[in-house]
Amino acid sequence: MLARHHRVGKGAGVLFATLSIALAACGSPTTAGGSPSSSPLLIGVIAPFTGADAALGPAYFAACLPAARAINNAGGVMGHMVSCQEFDTRGEPADAVPAAQQMVASHSNLMAVVGCTSDEASSVAPILNQAHIPMFCMTGQSEFNKTTFTYFHRLVPPDEFDAFAMVGSALDHFNYKKVALVFGNDIGSQAFVGPAMAALQGLGATVTINQAIALGQPSYRTEVTAMLATHPDVIFTEALGPTDATYMAEVKQLNNGTMLPFMGTSATIDPVWFKAVTGAVGVQTVVDKFTAVDLGVSFSGPGYDEFKTNLDAVASQFPAAPTYSQRGATLHLYDGIMQAALAMDETKSTDPTVYNSVIRDVGNGVTGATTVNTYAAGVAAIKNGQKVRWVGAGGLTNYNQYNNSQQGYIIVKYDASGNEVTIGTLTQAQTAAIIAAGGG
Amino acid sequence: MSLIVAAFGFGLVSMSIIAISAVGFTMQFGITNMINLAYGQVMIASAYAAYALNNAGVSIWLSLPVGAIFGAVFSFLLNRLVYAPFQRKGTNLIGMVIISLAVSLVIANVMLPIVGYYSVSYHQDPGTTYHFGSIALTGEQILIIALAVVVMLAIYALLRFTRLGKAMRATAANPTLARNCGIPTARVVDLAWLITGALCGVAGTVAGMNSDSFSVASGSEFLIPIIAASILGGAGSPYGAMIGAVIIGEMTEISAAIISPEYKQVVAFAVLVLVMVLRPQGLLAKRGALAAAG
Repeated sequence: MLARHHRVGKGAGVLFATLSIALAACGSPTTAGGSPSSSPLLIGVIAPFTGADAALGPAYFAACLPAARAINNAGGVMGHMVSCQEFDTRGEPADAVPAAQQMVASHSNLMAVVGCTSDEASSVAPILNQAHIPMFCMTGQSEFNKTTFTYFHRLVPPDEFDAFAMVGSALDHFNYKKVALVFGNDIGSQAFVGPAMAALQGLGATVTINQAIALGQPSYRTEVTAMLATHPDVIFTEALGPTDATYMAEVKQLNNGTMLPFMGTSATIDPVWFKAVTGAVGVQTVVDKFTAVDLGVSFSGPGYDEFKTNLDAVASQFPAAPTYSQRGATLHLYDGIMQAALAMDETKSTDPTVYNSVIRDVGNGVTGATTVNTYAAGVAAIKNGQKVRWVGAGGLTNYNQYNNSQQGYIIVKYDASGNEVTIGTLTQAQTAAIIAAGGG
Repeated sequence: MSLIVAAFGFGLVSMSIIAISAVGFTMQFGITNMINLAYGQVMIASAYAAYALNNAGVSIWLSLPVGAIFGAVFSFLLNRLVYAPFQRKGTNLIGMVIISLAVSLVIANVMLPIVGYYSVSYHQDPGTTYHFGSIALTGEQILIIALAVVVMLAIYALLRFTRLGKAMRATAANPTLARNCGIPTARVVDLAWLITGALCGVAGTVAGMNSDSFSVASGSEFLIPIIAASILGGAGSPYGAMIGAVIIGEMTEISAAIISPEYKQVVAFAVLVLVMVLRPQGLLAKRGALAAAG
């Protein structure tokens, strides 16, 4: 054995480590537009900013900055300037809980929280609900379909609907019959697998293989070889970080240079995912072979234009922000923040226990409500004594009694620049049949 | 059966990369008494250094030395500026491990605004695919395996046949006695950080080549099998790390073929735990090249 000289620890290393970790974990609030106020409000962006799902956090931060800018340029929420701050969960419940607790304990001025993906929503939502903080979550977990958390809001459908939409696209639009399921082994990605398998089998299609792949591995060649041996028509996938890029590059390599068609969830319509996968398999391969389902957003209209203007304007603070102009999650979280701000204006309160219940009214609109597409217009209408309905970047909101709002699905692909191109839609009848087949 | 044979072939590539990195990692521990958990992040930083050149149009094979040099210099500076001062103050081994963990996080978070959170891919040509029965390897993968063999032989030659190698072994065995015998241990440690840092840089670059895509977050994933191989072989033993790399590299691939891809790391670590129960010092700890003479 090697001889070792034992020494007495001084504790300095621990102190250095603690400080470093604290510095790494905490960001500083970012104010967009306007001027600082003596009593600012904070929007917490709680999401993975590091780790395998690190691509998700920036998409949500990109929602917060333009919302804050629009609000601040209109004078703030009743004069209170708004800022955004990142709280990194690393995509792990174990890291998310202290991040959420630290956020709540350290910031008494939280007006809303956005983010909370499937990676951490189950552990974060109870903390936020208990602290009476309105949250707009991107989780697709079905446990929130009928949640009792009154401060929970979700502007996207549950993941199982994404899975159903993928099945519908594959069977009805492309006539694929044999499907390989290749999803990351994280909580968020695995949420798609069960519903997709049930719907595929219920509609007579074949699941050739179901692979739960460990994220971030240096290679998946054995997994790819096993998958290719089943000869699928299409690969269904969501494995974020560099995982899909590595996996698909090896599919192309081990399939003699020919890529199989592959279809992603709405989370794969993301500039980070696009850049990773095109870097590994080539832009033309993605353009030719990749399709995805996405939330039915038109990317047009006055609400979207307002969002796009503010998104482009915050590029000085967050250079990648403009790349999220067609990221459904970014649009919807922007809308959520606007709804919370207008609910505060309507109730003339910064107390979440007062304005939280009005968020649904602002989203759905009450009888006689004036439709507004910009925060400034909303404030003006409220000052005139009107109720408002927010129709923003993501279009109409339709909250149910559990504060879940859902829209239809579109079938999309990428163009060579990474922009989303709509190639089809799923009708209500198609979607209903698939949901029924999947037991949804 | 053909899938298992194919997995064995892919395991050769995996074990080659793990071997290069694990030997560097375990030599750092053996010679400098430092369990450097920032090793994986230095690998990724080196991979990005090579990427910068590769992205400018230089072949990845020509960029590889840049990754190695970056890794060497970065590791050297890391020791001189961070680790060595703490060690001089008497920080114990556990304290140093925590410091290296903090350094890893700091490197990752400093890199994020510089290189972004995007995954990147080298511009590379995997070359012709060669078939050996069910085993299919590209020309590039065969070169990676060959590179690992050359590096292992070079490390063996360094430790067995050179004055520096003998000085390293003496420093590892008893730094005080080595210093009293006239060995410039401080310079030996500096050279050890440069050499192991170069191995780290090479490993990071070939890992990036093999994985087709990597990001800042890949560092922690790369580190796990490296630690496993190092401990399995016997902490501080380069030859043990080589054997550990073979076991971990092959176990992860073959288990993915036999059981489930989801459990490939679980199986590898189950083997590690089993070995630790039966032989806590690791496979070769008492016969490693860095062990005390006699």
